[in-house]
Amino acid sequence: MNLWLVLAINSITLGGLLFLLSAGFSLIFGLMRIPNLMHGSFFMLGAYMGSTFLAKGFGFWPAALASAASMAVLGGLVERFLLRRLAGQELAQVLLTLGLSFIIADACLMVWTGDPIQPSTPPDLRGAIIRSGLVFPIYRLAIVGVAIAMAIALWLLIDKTRIGAMIRAGVDDAPIARVVGIKVSQLFTLVFCLGAALAAFAGVVGSPYLSIYPGLDAEMLPLALIVVILGGAGSLPGALLGSFIIGFLYNFGQAMFPDLAYVILFVPMVLVLVLRPQGLFGRVAL
Amino acid sequence: MAADALRLDGVHAYYGDSHVLHGVGLVCGEGRLLGLLGRNGAGKSTCMSTVVGLLQPKRGAVTLFGKTIGGLAPERISAHGVALVPQGRRIFRSLTVRENLVVAAQKVRAGSLRPWTMARVFETFPRLGERRAQYAGSLSGGEQQMLAIGRALMGNPRLLLMDEPSEGLAPQIVAEVGRTIVNLKNEGLSIVLVEQNIKLALEIADDIAILNSGSVAYQGAAATLTMDHPAITQNLGVH
Ligand SMILES: Nc1ncnc2c1ncn2[C@@H]1O[C@H](COP(=O)(O)OP(=O)(O)O)[C@@H](O)[C@H]1O
Ligand SMILES: [Mg+2]
Repeated sequence: MNLWLVLAINSITLGGLLFLLSAGFSLIFGLMRIPNLMHGSFFMLGAYMGSTFLAKGFGFWPAALASAASMAVLGGLVERFLLRRLAGQELAQVLLTLGLSFIIADACLMVWTGDPIQPSTPPDLRGAIIRSGLVFPIYRLAIVGVAIAMAIALWLLIDKTRIGAMIRAGVDDAPIARVVGIKVSQLFTLVFCLGAALAAFAGVVGSPYLSIYPGLDAEMLPLALIVVILGGAGSLPGALLGSFIIGFLYNFGQAMFPDLAYVILFVPMVLVLVLRPQGLFGRVAL
Repeated sequence: MAADALRLDGVHAYYGDSHVLHGVGLVCGEGRLLGLLGRNGAGKSTCMSTVVGLLQPKRGAVTLFGKTIGGLAPERISAHGVALVPQGRRIFRSLTVRENLVVAAQKVRAGSLRPWTMARVFETFPRLGERRAQYAGSLSGGEQQMLAIGRALMGNPRLLLMDEPSEGLAPQIVAEVGRTIVNLKNEGLSIVLVEQNIKLALEIADDIAILNSGSVAYQGAAATLTMDHPAITQNLGVH
């Protein structure tokens, strides 16, 4: 019984982190039509930056916000000065993001060495709540709470504001969005900054739990990719559902069928690609 | 003399290596309704794409009220007062009716007497008002066409391009769309109407241009044309 509870809590924790990571990935994919292969790098570099801010004496949440802000700047620079030069050449753009992800991985290795870093949990979120013999680690629950708060904020932004409607219009039909006067290229920059910031934030929030180590980027990226293929590119509800599906499949798969962990993760993705290429909630086929 | 609303001079356009427009020249006078006819594949939609900036002309000039707009990006051209009702409507399906209009709203041009607002669009198309909270993808074909027109009007254009607005609609809806176009023209809007429905175009247009294989085969007053005129039978008849 307790094992199942632990697995379930780990699953929703991972689901929450994956949502923070993949919400931006999904918006970028939906709007710019490219899988941003440096999204895992934003997560890892963001986590490292957060650890440095912590070491400099920042509080945990200020460190997370500072890291998110610095990744937003980096994301904005990458979009404006590199990706934009390759506008309309999707393959070249994808390869560029791949190249940048290798550069960032090496740079991180240089700056933070190869030793894993595990920032400590924020002091007021340590420990666990015990209810009728069941143990709920507070920090994991806090991650879920933060993810839900972010999901609501993003939903308000995307669903209830004019900018959000413009982003969705761009996802629906980018050329016509431009023809009606929407500055789609500015939306690209905005969405790229936002996605990078969210990924970095997820990286910091996840770091006391996952720890930070070389290769973390390459571990997170495929998960974001599966989430978005499951949920549908450009769809936030899709990213939310996909994140929790993958959170559960990952944890229960590893516990129950450790040899088949990747099969369990990727089979649903392959099925969706073949049977419903627009994803569970998506509007456009990949 | 007022400048023409739209002039194309010797416009050549390509999709990759495929040469589609071969020196198109046509004129839509200010406040006039130009009917642009031509068989399927003649290049009508390509002309529209070239005017709105989705396709850059390789050679030739596109002039809007005396200003050259060739080479500008679509969002810039939209700010110059060009709006398009695209072929196949292409409304934003996952946005509500209201949102489709909101995202297309533009600053009102100085000197505009009755600017288009959402309220005015709903006044013109009451059905859209009733369905304002509905997703655009769930509308009927006729309603989607009204929405595509309303969306274009929200940009407060000086020149309205309409690409086959009657396509796939029931006859009574086609008549309604026709009346709407005439009303817009009577307000002084300059309009280019691309149509396969020759009868409708001859009925409501002031001038007619006929495209054949990517160049203009005929341009003249609509009043001089009838269904059995050689310009029509030769360029639009079925071979
Ligand atoms: N996106 C495109 N890529 C390549 N060729 C195209 C494209 N769109 C149209 N064409 C070709 O250009 C020609 C003109 O098409 P179009 O302007 O759509 O004609 P019309 O609107 O008069 O039916 C056709 O031969 C068509 O096959
Ligand atoms: Mg056409």
